[in-house]
Amino acid sequence: MDKNSTLFKSVVSGIKKVAVVATVALASVALFACSSSSADNSSKKAEKDDGKLMTVTVYDDLANYQGLAKGWFAQYVQDKFNIKLKMVAPNVAGGGNTLFDTRTAAGNLGDLIITGTGHVNKLVKANLLTDMTPYLDGMKYIKKYDGATKAISDLADKKGTWGIASSVSSGSPTEASEGLEATTVPYIRWDLYKKIGYPTLNNTDDLLNALKEMQTEARKEEGKKDIYAISLFKDWDGASMQNAGQNLAFYGWEPTNYALAKGNGSKYESLIANNSQYVQGLEFLNKAQQMGLVDPESTTQNWDTMYAKYQAGKVLFSYWSFLGQGAYNTSANMAAGKGFELAPLKGMKVFSNGNMPDGNTTFIGIGSKAKNKARLVKFINWLYSPEGVQVQQAQSTGYSAGIKGLTWKMDGDQPVLTDFGKKALLEGGSVKMPAKYGSGTWKDGISTLNFVAVMQYDKDPTTGYKYGYVTWPSVLKINETKLSKDWSEHMGGATSTMDYLKKNNELLVAAGVSYTAPEDPATVATTRGSVQTQIVSSSWKMVMAKNDTEFKSLLTSMQKTVKGLGYDDVYKVDLKNSKAKNAARQKVIEQYKDEK
Amino acid sequence: MENVIDNQKESEALQQRRQQHDKAKRKRSRRMWLLIVPFLVLVVAFSYYPLFGWVYAFFDYEPPIPLRDSQFVGMQWFKMMVANSTQVRQLMQVLINTFAMSLLNIATSFFPLLFAIGLNEIRNKHFRNIIQTLTTLPNFISWVLVYSIAFAMFSTNGMVNDLLQNLNVIAAPIKFLDSDSLTWIKMLLWSTWKGLGWGSIIYLASISGIDQELYEAARVDGASRFQLIRYITIPALMPTFFVMLMLSVSNFLNNGMDQYFVFQNAFNQTHIQVLDLYVYNVGMGQNSLSYATAISMLKSLVSVALLWIVNIVSKKTRGASII
Repeated sequence: MDKNSTLFKSVVSGIKKVAVVATVALASVALFACSSSSADNSSKKAEKDDGKLMTVTVYDDLANYQGLAKGWFAQYVQDKFNIKLKMVAPNVAGGGNTLFDTRTAAGNLGDLIITGTGHVNKLVKANLLTDMTPYLDGMKYIKKYDGATKAISDLADKKGTWGIASSVSSGSPTEASEGLEATTVPYIRWDLYKKIGYPTLNNTDDLLNALKEMQTEARKEEGKKDIYAISLFKDWDGASMQNAGQNLAFYGWEPTNYALAKGNGSKYESLIANNSQYVQGLEFLNKAQQMGLVDPESTTQNWDTMYAKYQAGKVLFSYWSFLGQGAYNTSANMAAGKGFELAPLKGMKVFSNGNMPDGNTTFIGIGSKAKNKARLVKFINWLYSPEGVQVQQAQSTGYSAGIKGLTWKMDGDQPVLTDFGKKALLEGGSVKMPAKYGSGTWKDGISTLNFVAVMQYDKDPTTGYKYGYVTWPSVLKINETKLSKDWSEHMGGATSTMDYLKKNNELLVAAGVSYTAPEDPATVATTRGSVQTQIVSSSWKMVMAKNDTEFKSLLTSMQKTVKGLGYDDVYKVDLKNSKAKNAARQKVIEQYKDEK
Repeated sequence: MENVIDNQKESEALQQRRQQHDKAKRKRSRRMWLLIVPFLVLVVAFSYYPLFGWVYAFFDYEPPIPLRDSQFVGMQWFKMMVANSTQVRQLMQVLINTFAMSLLNIATSFFPLLFAIGLNEIRNKHFRNIIQTLTTLPNFISWVLVYSIAFAMFSTNGMVNDLLQNLNVIAAPIKFLDSDSLTWIKMLLWSTWKGLGWGSIIYLASISGIDQELYEAARVDGASRFQLIRYITIPALMPTFFVMLMLSVSNFLNNGMDQYFVFQNAFNQTHIQVLDLYVYNVGMGQNSLSYATAISMLKSLVSVALLWIVNIVSKKTRGASII
């Protein structure tokens, strides 16, 4: 007993001692943490460039590649700036905001930062962005788009040049930002549509019936059972099920999370309202699913798997030109009369964003911990220069034309694609790069930044033509194929999707504005989180519902649940933001009229 | 006189010896104390230090704004947890999921025991070793890989669906993974598949420790194989079984999240979200770290409540409390 009590006493006193030591240690850790992070990094003086080869960590919300960039674009940047790009991509890492949260909480998001303008305020407040002002001497192109730098500065509460917005344009904000193809319209496999005799598509039900016939036709032709009219994926789900929301654009609607607005601000509705355009989008997909038109893998596959299916001709409907046409309309397929083209769906009023002189809601900036900031500013300046736009914004197809002298050249006063360029840009891009430009194929080496600095339908001052090579007269001639001729014949002689929509008054251009919604109040943000989880999962269940009764009951229970969670508070905020955006549009339209 | 002096000397010597003895004892207890220091440090570092994180539940924390610049919001997040009936229902569903899956796991904790007995009865040594190795291996595969195996086999165009379709058994693929039917049972089957072999190891060890004379004596008395199992093996394994059971009960709320994390999707979310996963989804997926911290504190609350209940039961049944 005696022994035990001594032991017990010593243990107790020991615990006390440990507790004291631990408290002191914790306090000192806390103090140290405070003192180290309170040092101000935004010194106004310019730092000198050491000129050495450096690896730059790029935090990029748009990137679809993670790790050290390889291939011709990486080589180009290394030769020009002595910079290696190391990509950090939330899209690849997954987990939503996790990467942004953990990296910013640790005090270093990246050397170069490409993220949403909604983050500007917080990043500046937490001292994670560099003020570029001291480095701007001679930075011609950053200065040229001063509206885009001002748009970012306005979002911060602190004076400075914190970044530059993406997708800037010198075009009119009241004109569509698209060139030949609209961003979101119903694209179908035209060759199969032809085979079933060009049926009239008065509404989406007709479209589904046509797709059903096309699917039967395609399966018969190819002898494969795994061809589906529609294939979906969940990678881009956010506030709602992204795919289901696409048909909003067919009829001129634009979502601001849960507030749906007609592009001209004439009408507003709630996303979950009984017959809202979004619910109609779900109905459309559910009907398709009940008709056996939806790929059963839709619920589990990702973008890559789905894209491969498009390339193999196993999907017959696409919401976007960059998916259907991008994957399937190769020169070989088009010459054979196969490919995706706009479906002549009646009653459309396609939503189109106008040009945004001050840029879009993504921006590029420099992290506060970056080294050789002068060089990084030069790099950003280059991204906005004609050469930068040509090279960095070249994709495997569409978009810019790439490296002058390699993929394109001037023929007299006209830009034309070289033979190599045709292989790279029109025939799938699996052509090997010449040794001078690094190794690998064209399509594997394209820019991992996936960043649009200047809109592709802006005029390139060095050529006098637009950046997007598909609009060059020389390329238009090449693209005049069996497919495009047949399509044009049946579309009243239209030369392109945009041409058709304009001629038929089926286009609704919403004036281009750089509008960043203010941050949600904390409780609204949390409610939004639980509401969105509920809406996304219910939407998927609704699309996969076995019959209309199940669909209806899922809809009712979703409405009830999210309303119970506080949907109305979130909707109120969204509606306010949506109205503010449309008011800004009105202002831009008037401003532009005055300038004219 | 001499006697007195002798007595005095003796008592002095005695005192000296006692002092020496005390000194030795102190020294020994100090040594004993040093021995437990590392564990105390570990406990403080991993069990008490993290509790400082609870402070986030009282702020409106959103990275990258550091905590010291965040707004103090008091009990706001706790109020939000019970702000409306839908929210409460959701939390209850999460707790039900957690309890259900833990209970299922405890209810099936005798599987490894039966498996070990069965394994022990296999006479062919090579065959037994092969079975044991094959069933132990899954324990070393991470849940992410288990999911990719599950996906390869059970997705809509996985092996099982392809096979059944090619044999014309079914017309449309069966949705094994993206449906909410029998989610708890499916999860139990996966964790059983993964842990059965590993869980049986401790029983196999116990079986080898059973005195062979017992079996021999029973056999002489004419006991059959089933009687040997029934009257010798199982009773001998019971102490081990109860220790294992107690350990799993104490882990009641810690039913992990990686398994449920990899298997969760839009379709089975209602029944797969256990407390840990829910906290992760709210904190990381929905970007509400402060709210998630508040919910995670619920876990400690439930644990204390459970302990209290067990303590009462123990007092009532055994007459002694465990704390």
